[in-house]
Amino acid sequence: MLKNPCERMFGRSLWVYHANSGGCNGCDIEVLNALTPYYDLERFGIKLVGSPRHADVMLCQGPALRATAVALRRAYDAMPAPKLVFAIGSCACGGGTWFDSYAVLGPVEKAVPVNFYVPGCPPRPEAIIYGVAVAVGLVEKKAAPVHFKQAEFPIPLYHPGQLHGVGDLVVYEKLEKI
Amino acid sequence: MLSKVKEAILCLKPGRVTLPYPAHAEPIADNFRGVPRWNGEKCIGCAGCASNCSARAILVRDVCQELRILEYVGGRCTYCGRCAEVCPEMAIVMSHDFEQATNDVTDLNQRLDVFMSTCQRCGRCFKVPDALEQLKMQGYRFDDLEQARWVFRSNAFLEGDPVVEDIPVELD
Amino acid sequence: MNPNVLAGLLNVVMVLVAAPFFQGLQRKITARIQARQGPPLWQPYFDLFKLLGKEDIEVGESPVMQRFATYLSLAVVLTVAFLVPMGTAAPGEGIGDAIVLTYLLTLMGICTMMAGMAAGSTYSLVGISREMMSMVTLEPLFAVAVLVGALHARSLHLDQVFNGASYSTQGVPWSGLVMLALMILAFQAFVQRLPFDMSEAETELMEGPLMEYSGPKLALFEFAHMAKLVVFSAMFIGLFVPWGEALYAPLAWLVFWVKALVLVVLVAVVAAVHARYRIDQAIRYFAAMTLVSLGALILAVYGY
Repeated sequence: MLKNPCERMFGRSLWVYHANSGGCNGCDIEVLNALTPYYDLERFGIKLVGSPRHADVMLCQGPALRATAVALRRAYDAMPAPKLVFAIGSCACGGGTWFDSYAVLGPVEKAVPVNFYVPGCPPRPEAIIYGVAVAVGLVEKKAAPVHFKQAEFPIPLYHPGQLHGVGDLVVYEKLEKI
Repeated sequence: MLSKVKEAILCLKPGRVTLPYPAHAEPIADNFRGVPRWNGEKCIGCAGCASNCSARAILVRDVCQELRILEYVGGRCTYCGRCAEVCPEMAIVMSHDFEQATNDVTDLNQRLDVFMSTCQRCGRCFKVPDALEQLKMQGYRFDDLEQARWVFRSNAFLEGDPVVEDIPVELD
Repeated sequence: MNPNVLAGLLNVVMVLVAAPFFQGLQRKITARIQARQGPPLWQPYFDLFKLLGKEDIEVGESPVMQRFATYLSLAVVLTVAFLVPMGTAAPGEGIGDAIVLTYLLTLMGICTMMAGMAAGSTYSLVGISREMMSMVTLEPLFAVAVLVGALHARSLHLDQVFNGASYSTQGVPWSGLVMLALMILAFQAFVQRLPFDMSEAETELMEGPLMEYSGPKLALFEFAHMAKLVVFSAMFIGLFVPWGEALYAPLAWLVFWVKALVLVVLVAVVAAVHARYRIDQAIRYFAAMTLVSLGALILAVYGY
């Protein structure tokens, strides 16, 4: 009986728990910037709480280190359902510059399942607010993969001895022997 | 006591400084580095961007003598701009896009299948190597696109092991 | 049915409906003082509805005690709301008087401590130790305020105590004025807002005793916290700001809620411009005020 109003109110009152599992704090500061008066996130109902048990959304930043992956997983398990995980910054999305370091397991996906990614180094507060809006469903996401192709596969290999010019064209004649 | 009252009144002076962000966006500086965009028409396939990428986020795979696949893995990019700085054809532009939040990190990838430009003297891109030479050649690139990592020694890739191993961790 | 019981039920309904609104008003005023836009006024209603539907993770020392502490805390606050006159006459006469009220207020603090002990994590235990320390020095203050009113009114019935009885002496009501000053200085501590929210709602620092509660239990605790503001405002207005109560009945009720609104705005403004006191600073502050209040009690006994 109580699930329905909860789901309807979920987007209007998100309580956020901030978990930094080894980052440089750049994204920390951008997240806190988003809560300051200029980019006030509290006007959307978003509140920073100090305990994962009170939170709906976990903002992870920094890559998952060998030392902190376990702690991150425990914080994720302590959150009550329904919950979302955001990976903020390049380190959390894909490992950043440290993806193959000895101390780093990789992006945050290796420790907790991630719902939304906000790339950037660090992402602007507007980018973080945009990420929250995409999660809540207010706007459509803008990123899309790009694939530029100059040729279709399979292509044949040409030996330069088999090409000769006829007027303007270059003609390929497969010879038995060069 | 009175100092607190003065403080309250002082705080009310700026009024409301909240920027109406979702309503309209703030103007961005000209040299803002957003997502790098590749222009396939201008790219010559030299892989200078890949060699200079800070996060090794640009992967290169040579399909054959003339065709090279360049894949930009957007999840790792730190938006440093070195690729754009080094590109000889100015085919990479650091755009002003920063609103790139998605629920699938492969949405950020860009992939170009380009013909490499040829040497002005001999007309070839590279000498066509045979299978054995392909494994040992240093200029020949065959990065692991599926796992989005560089391959430094090609025989490591052939053996099926990644160059850098995942360290197993027990999570309870 | 005794019409005063209906008035009591009306009080409970008003507290249930209006407490989140007052909390929303406080957040909005805090935001405006901090030069930002702030959440909409109905935000605490959204928060409560969302929390009620979340999964309830019951982990801690003793889940049974957790449930008990949650329900008891809300029950105590609503009982106090039932007993205190809020613009109409109280349902006194055998249901509750001043002594019961004092014990109920102490029980509110004990509920927080039970909540923290049931959770059993380190942060909870530190939070409840702070709550215990501040309760020891603070509850006598409120008890003395109620007693001064009772002494002047020569009765323990709530509708006579909460009718501005602190001022009903011949000549200048010294004890009433001293108690008014002390209650103004200590009011923020009773409602657990800044600068005195060291124990429970210390969300910025440690989460306090509420750290292990999630979902519906947290909603009930948050609601009890919001309702405490309304109930304590009602008691403060009843004891010290009684003018306008003798008007025609619905008008007196409206006047009461307007006074409560003004008081909540003042609480919000004070909370927004202050930083939090440390526990030792706060205890010294409260202990000094409790000693002065004992002086006021002596004055009241002698009729001043």
